[in-house]
Amino acid sequence: MFNLLGRNEISDIHVASMEVLEQVGVMIQHDEALRILGDAGAVVDDKTKVVKIPEHLLQEALQKAPGRHLMASRDPKHNFVIGDGASYYTNAFGAHYTLDLETGERRLSTVKDLEEFTLLADFYPTVDYIKPHILPQDVSKSIWEQEMALAMFRNAEKHLSLVALTPQGWRDVIKMSMIAAGGEEEFIKNPSFIDTGFNNVPPLKYTPEIIDMILECAKYKIPFDISTGALASASSPVTLAGTIVQGIVENHAIVVLTQLVGPGTPIMWGSCATILDQRYGTAAYGSPENGLIHAAFAQMARFYGIPYYGAAGVIDSKIPDHQAVYENTINVLVATLAGADVVHDAVYGIVEAGVTASYELFGISNEICGAVKRIAKGMRVTKETLAADLIAAVGHEKNYLNTPEALKYTKKHLLEEQWQPVLTERASRPEWEKRGSKDMFQRAKEQVKEILSSHEVEPLDKDVEAAMRKIIDKRAKGK
Amino acid sequence: MTPSIFEELEIAVIEGDSEQCEELAKKSLDQKIPPLDAITNGLAKGVKSVGDKFSKGEVFLVELIMAGDAMKAGMSVLLPEIKASKAEMKTLGKVMLGTVDGDIHSIGKDIVATLLEAEGFEVINIGEDVSSEIFVEKVKEHSPDILGLSSLLTATMPAQKEVIEMLDKAGLKDKVKVIIGGAPTTNEWADEIGADGWAGDAVSAVELVKQLVGGN
Ligand code: B12
Repeated sequence: MFNLLGRNEISDIHVASMEVLEQVGVMIQHDEALRILGDAGAVVDDKTKVVKIPEHLLQEALQKAPGRHLMASRDPKHNFVIGDGASYYTNAFGAHYTLDLETGERRLSTVKDLEEFTLLADFYPTVDYIKPHILPQDVSKSIWEQEMALAMFRNAEKHLSLVALTPQGWRDVIKMSMIAAGGEEEFIKNPSFIDTGFNNVPPLKYTPEIIDMILECAKYKIPFDISTGALASASSPVTLAGTIVQGIVENHAIVVLTQLVGPGTPIMWGSCATILDQRYGTAAYGSPENGLIHAAFAQMARFYGIPYYGAAGVIDSKIPDHQAVYENTINVLVATLAGADVVHDAVYGIVEAGVTASYELFGISNEICGAVKRIAKGMRVTKETLAADLIAAVGHEKNYLNTPEALKYTKKHLLEEQWQPVLTERASRPEWEKRGSKDMFQRAKEQVKEILSSHEVEPLDKDVEAAMRKIIDKRAKGK
Repeated sequence: MTPSIFEELEIAVIEGDSEQCEELAKKSLDQKIPPLDAITNGLAKGVKSVGDKFSKGEVFLVELIMAGDAMKAGMSVLLPEIKASKAEMKTLGKVMLGTVDGDIHSIGKDIVATLLEAEGFEVINIGEDVSSEIFVEKVKEHSPDILGLSSLLTATMPAQKEVIEMLDKAGLKDKVKVIIGGAPTTNEWADEIGADGWAGDAVSAVELVKQLVGGN
């Protein structure tokens, strides 16, 4: 619905990106990856570890990279196809602290928080698949990714995106996912049972660990997003167009590598890029420039025929306040209207750009995202919905509340036409006062508590959970 | 009235004009101005004024960095003369900064480094993903007054603790004050691991360092 770039601009961005990809190259600190790229025809400098990739290698890779792919879930009713034209939303990723639901105090996050946020994400209709909302601080780091995976499997039936932080932890998580999927064979047949995501080190660099985990994904064809983390004016050019060019090159290097190793591996081509605020030296995610960056990347991804994954709802505000809400709204809206296939960080529920989780804000953001999804759904224009006959029948004297035909028509189309908010207060003032004159924050708090006490997911099979637990125990013992 | 060479140096730094700074530094030597004076009354004054304005949100980071670079350009001309004349270069103190093992986040640490330099500290920036052993080695080698450890990842915060423990074991804990920072860290964490201080942004990092050095 929103096309930021014109045809010539798309082509100029592409040409500049190819120039950088072919002539400047990307530093990949992983010898095996460099060998693979070199064998395929890229120009590798073994000393600097910079690889320059000719455009034809990219074009071949794009041929192999799926334009759409299924994301599978524990309960198949939550399956969906990324790249089918809709924008799918995820919750936020990675809070070290949590604003306590009872006391409001900012304290370290726990596994219980991760379980609760996952359960809420399973419930909220705007969350299409689930990210690790919380990085729990009450678990040993040697089994961190593993405990997080288990906590998430136990509390959701939707598709899970699991965290890959260390090569060893990620391999354990894959093993655990095989168990949850019903065995290795099942998993290999359908590796999109899980996915994960990676960032680069801008400008134009990848670390050995990230490449190792990417190769592991390519081996099994596990879907992943590769998202440039450029901060305009700090780790990429201050100009938004320049940042787009750099991000394209950073992402494309991984498309090429992945499709050489695991042809057909689904890649979501992404961005968590934004601007650096030059007054404070901080990353500004809730900025309007962030929305423009997503809009441009979404169009470029479409140009390359690959799904776009934009981290677009991030909030810089330190508390769940008015600033938080406007930041979440503008960029989820822009990314969605620009046609992002995945809006990551949409249903945000975190403040301080990824640092501190807020239960109440999660509820509020679900409401915002519901409204934005309604806008994205657009307007149905058919003979039936144009309703000329009905307008004639109602005429000038009656209305749509006192004409039986009109009432029937309204009933038939109501749910398709009108989004039903849950937390938004639209009742009359007396009615609102009668309900305690609560603001949205209070209403969200109550809603969250209600969901946590009532929403249930199908428990994991006991043997499955025990087998997953065994992998964790083994790692905890250092074996 | 034409501006004095000191004023010219100050302005060149404020404008972030490295070439002009170099030229003016040479001119000051030609005029037999003591190089230490050119630094103190010219270059340092300029960078201090930009640093102060940055703290108040009145100038942009890019201007701060360019002012720092301009000052360094001037210094590169003046320092050899100072060394030759055996005069003592006085800085506010020596600060070593690095991001801990397994963590490649650099931006925050680099901003802290820039602002400290602008305020007149000598800064040794030893980079990112620095192993705890290297931190200890570098402290031995450079004897900084302050060591700053940056960590942006939950998973790498324990490395801040490790460095402090290793400094303790090496008998260096009393010789250097350790401060920490990075988005997920807190004052409480600093207390818990026995750090000498914590700051949540670059401006308070400078205040903290001044306080710690002053308290020496
Ligand atoms: C930019 C960024 C990146 C860039 C880093 C580029 C670079 N060269 O630095 C890239 C894309 C490479 C990146 C990678 C990753 N990142 Co990152 N990243 C960020 C982000 C968005 C901003 C960090 C930043 O630069 N901020 C701007 C600076 C100015 O602020 P600052 O660093 O906090 O520094 C200020 C203060 O903290 C203080 N300070 C900092 N250091 C020091 C030191 C001392 C001594 C003192 C006194 C003060 C001080 O002063 C600074 C100036 O005011 C944060 C989100 C956030 N809210 O922080 C995530 C974030 C830190 N990253 C995160 C993660 C998970 C990762 C990855 C693991 C992702 C992945 N799977 O690939 C990798 C890590 C790789 C690795 N091994 O390190 C998480 C960490 C979660 C956690 N608690 O563990 C965060 C919080 C985002 C999130 N929730 O997802 N990241």
